[in-house]
Amino acid sequence: MNDLTLNLSSSPHARDRWTTPYIMRVVLLSLMPATIMGCIVYGWHALAIVVLSVASAMLAEAVFNKVVHKPSTVWDGSAAVTGLLLALSLGPRTPLYLPVIGSVFAIVVVKGCFGGLGKNFINPALAARCFLLISFASSMAIQPVVDATSSATPMGMLRNMEEVSITKMFLGTADGVIGSSILALLIGGLILWSMDIIHGQICFSVLGGFTLFIGLFGGQGFDPKFLLAHLCGGGVVMGAFFMATDYVTSPVSRLGQFIYGCLIGCLGALFRLFGNTADSFSYAIIIGNVMTPLIDTYIVQKPFAYRKIGRTRQKTGEPFRIPKPVVALAVIALIAGVALSGVYSMTKNSIDEQEQAAQIASYREACPEADSFEFSEEADRILASREGNNWGTEFGNTRINEFFTALDAQGETVGYAVSVTSKGYGGDVSLILGLTKEGAVRRISFTELNETAGLGMKAKEPAFRDQFEGKAEYVTMIKGAASGEHEISAISGASITSTAVTNAVNAGLDFYRTVMEGGN
Amino acid sequence: MKNTFRGGVHPEEKKELSREARLRRFDPKGEMVFPLSQHIGKPARPLVKRGDEVRVGQCIAEADGFISAPIHSSCSGKVKTIEKRRVLTGAMAECIVIDNDGQFTPFADYTQKADASALSNNDILQRVQDAGVVGLGGAGFPTAVKLKPKNPDDIRYVIANGAECEPYLTCNDQLMRIHSVAIAEGMELVLRLFPNAQGVICIEDNKPEAISAMEIAVSDKPRIEVRAMVTKYPQGGERSLIQAVAGVDFPITALPADVGCLVQNVGTLYAIQRAVLYQEPLYSQCFTLSGEAVREPANFFVRVGTSFAELLEANGGLIPGTPAVKAMAGGPMMGIPIADLNVPIQKQNNGLTVLAKDPVEEAEALMTNCLHCGRCTTVCPVGLMPQMMADAAAAGDLNRYEKKLYGLECIQCGSCTFACPAKRPLMQVFKQTKAEIMANKRKEGGAKK
Repeated sequence: MNDLTLNLSSSPHARDRWTTPYIMRVVLLSLMPATIMGCIVYGWHALAIVVLSVASAMLAEAVFNKVVHKPSTVWDGSAAVTGLLLALSLGPRTPLYLPVIGSVFAIVVVKGCFGGLGKNFINPALAARCFLLISFASSMAIQPVVDATSSATPMGMLRNMEEVSITKMFLGTADGVIGSSILALLIGGLILWSMDIIHGQICFSVLGGFTLFIGLFGGQGFDPKFLLAHLCGGGVVMGAFFMATDYVTSPVSRLGQFIYGCLIGCLGALFRLFGNTADSFSYAIIIGNVMTPLIDTYIVQKPFAYRKIGRTRQKTGEPFRIPKPVVALAVIALIAGVALSGVYSMTKNSIDEQEQAAQIASYREACPEADSFEFSEEADRILASREGNNWGTEFGNTRINEFFTALDAQGETVGYAVSVTSKGYGGDVSLILGLTKEGAVRRISFTELNETAGLGMKAKEPAFRDQFEGKAEYVTMIKGAASGEHEISAISGASITSTAVTNAVNAGLDFYRTVMEGGN
Repeated sequence: MKNTFRGGVHPEEKKELSREARLRRFDPKGEMVFPLSQHIGKPARPLVKRGDEVRVGQCIAEADGFISAPIHSSCSGKVKTIEKRRVLTGAMAECIVIDNDGQFTPFADYTQKADASALSNNDILQRVQDAGVVGLGGAGFPTAVKLKPKNPDDIRYVIANGAECEPYLTCNDQLMRIHSVAIAEGMELVLRLFPNAQGVICIEDNKPEAISAMEIAVSDKPRIEVRAMVTKYPQGGERSLIQAVAGVDFPITALPADVGCLVQNVGTLYAIQRAVLYQEPLYSQCFTLSGEAVREPANFFVRVGTSFAELLEANGGLIPGTPAVKAMAGGPMMGIPIADLNVPIQKQNNGLTVLAKDPVEEAEALMTNCLHCGRCTTVCPVGLMPQMMADAAAAGDLNRYEKKLYGLECIQCGSCTFACPAKRPLMQVFKQTKAEIMANKRKEGGAKK
């Protein structure tokens, strides 16, 4: 028993498994969704920026440690986090030397020269980004990748009060920095929050302060679309969850963190609304960073025994809280649900709009002289009296959809338009039959035609279509060359389609006559 | 609402090593060493001299002054010498050394149970004082002194600490399972001194057997209730328990009695019951032997004065081939590190933990600069800001440390050091800084005179 050599050290003789590299690894993992999303949307160049930025940050750390004779801190992961954050805040077409310059600046000047990990006074990644913005303004401008027809990024458009696609910004498929997928950032950020790695006081007060300020002074009130567009753009979410929450440059007390978060949120909104740069949020966070020592000096927590609430509290223990991971998962699920339904409703609207526009174009094509179309109540009444709009078996069960009177700019009748559907070879054949004021066919235009390519689809071609022009009586379809006044020749090899079109035209003419004769 | 305090940490419990090991008595051979100071306050004054015959339970040193406690022999035999011997802390201290004859002949009959109702409050206090009962939670404050606050009528809660939040330790768990009735009777005796108080027995919810045993034991005692507490360190701290039970926080300058509370370890309550009803002095207490390097983790009633080394060797010793790198009296969170196991077990020691790996050594290799992550602030059960205190101490700004950051409020539970991801030795800095500030104050006080 005497041969034991026992270590002596002060208690506690136990340590938690959390270490600095552990925290950094979790942060790196939480940034992965945004990184992967960025690389998928913006391609190989974006991946090259990420790899170069991380690698050069780690290399800079290693070299700097060597030069100043400090123990190597490359593998604690903090340099990798800095490199990745910088890469995610750069545009996807940034020249490849910029992330390298930025990473070296971040690690050597901002971090290393101030004493390494935990000693920097502003966030290294943000400082590097701002350094690059100032020094290489034109190269740093975000080149459109996804939407090459538009010259402006969503943030630029937002500043010009143009409409932006919130859905695209949310998913990260709009033009922006590599880490611009709000959904991916939110997933990572909420995971960090639920693991107690970042402080909720900071990220939520940043978002809250920002939203409140934009709502109050943005000129559009608390319009959710407007607020969301601002929240989804310009690095607000990345700033709130990954930049402002940087331990080293944020206050330690809960109240201090709240003040710091609100300050960044409000300043970011102020710069956004009244400044002239899209990168305002970076500057807001940097100002928050430099305010941190001041906040930490004056705002400290008193022990529970010296707090008013602590002394007068009657109930004991801690209140029941819903576990954070549950909250985070619920929020992610909620966001994903809202995003999906948003995508659906937006695309649904645009599909409807497109269909409507196509309809109007078809009517105009059928009646080129018309300026507007008037709904005919008489026709509607006649249609309502027929079951299922079917217009007679003699026309092969065609269906009359709508009937309009075409008017010119002076409101004079110039013709009529009937929307007819009949059965073709590949499904419904729908067309608008344009008629002159006298009741002769003016032109037909197809709204639905899904026939065989090269055969039935030839119905659209003038050679077939134009044969109907000027016909005022029922037409007969014949195979081969048409000779009679009321004859048209069928498309060879597509008699079903030809019959369908002929039936539709005849039914349209018949319906026109019925309307003109007052429904008999 | 859960029964707990704010902050705190969750160290690995490691209780499975010894939790099912039954409490058993360990009778040592060879000489027994009794330090004269096994409590807070003045050392006891020896009543025996070299060559005297002593028996188990005989008083060998009497209390010297108001805050002091007598010491009783835990064996029978001859007084060998009274001299300076190395004790737990590594220092040399005056000790009575007794040659143990191995007979353990009792000094008096400790098997006759007295009728509690026939005893007056003064009898209770006198018997606790005479039995040398001290706080067995670790500090060793003389219990008789603690039971005599200024206004006994103002005490609202008598809290029995059965939390046992230290990792590895399981002896209180075993004690509560087996001697639940004795603990409840001890609580009843204490409650007689405080007519307006309610007895609350607090047990962490990782000890369901102990909770149900105590619930059965108090079922016929309307003034006593059992509360399951959240398993969290330092749940068994005096302040943590008071915060959880009474909902009050109080500055370090105040005593629990100032907020109407009195906290007694369950082991102490058991000792009080033995002392008052059987007139048996405190010469043994429950004790856990555990740790990854120990071959047979176990729980004992161990005799005061037994050497740590003998207890370990006679009960399986260390696992051959496993390095024993660190030993401590108590558990890892607040345990006192031991360099040499050939030192006597004292009254307030409740365990010996021998570790095969030293987390402190491993942590030193992982140390980085402070990240300002704020974990230490989150876990501090007092509500301090350890990271700022460390900064202020490093900058030598003792004024900010004391006045702005309330640094002297630190209860040295070690939660901040445990939680720190950068593995900074925070609490160690606070211990030193507190000593420095106190020394400055004494100097200033001396200068003024």
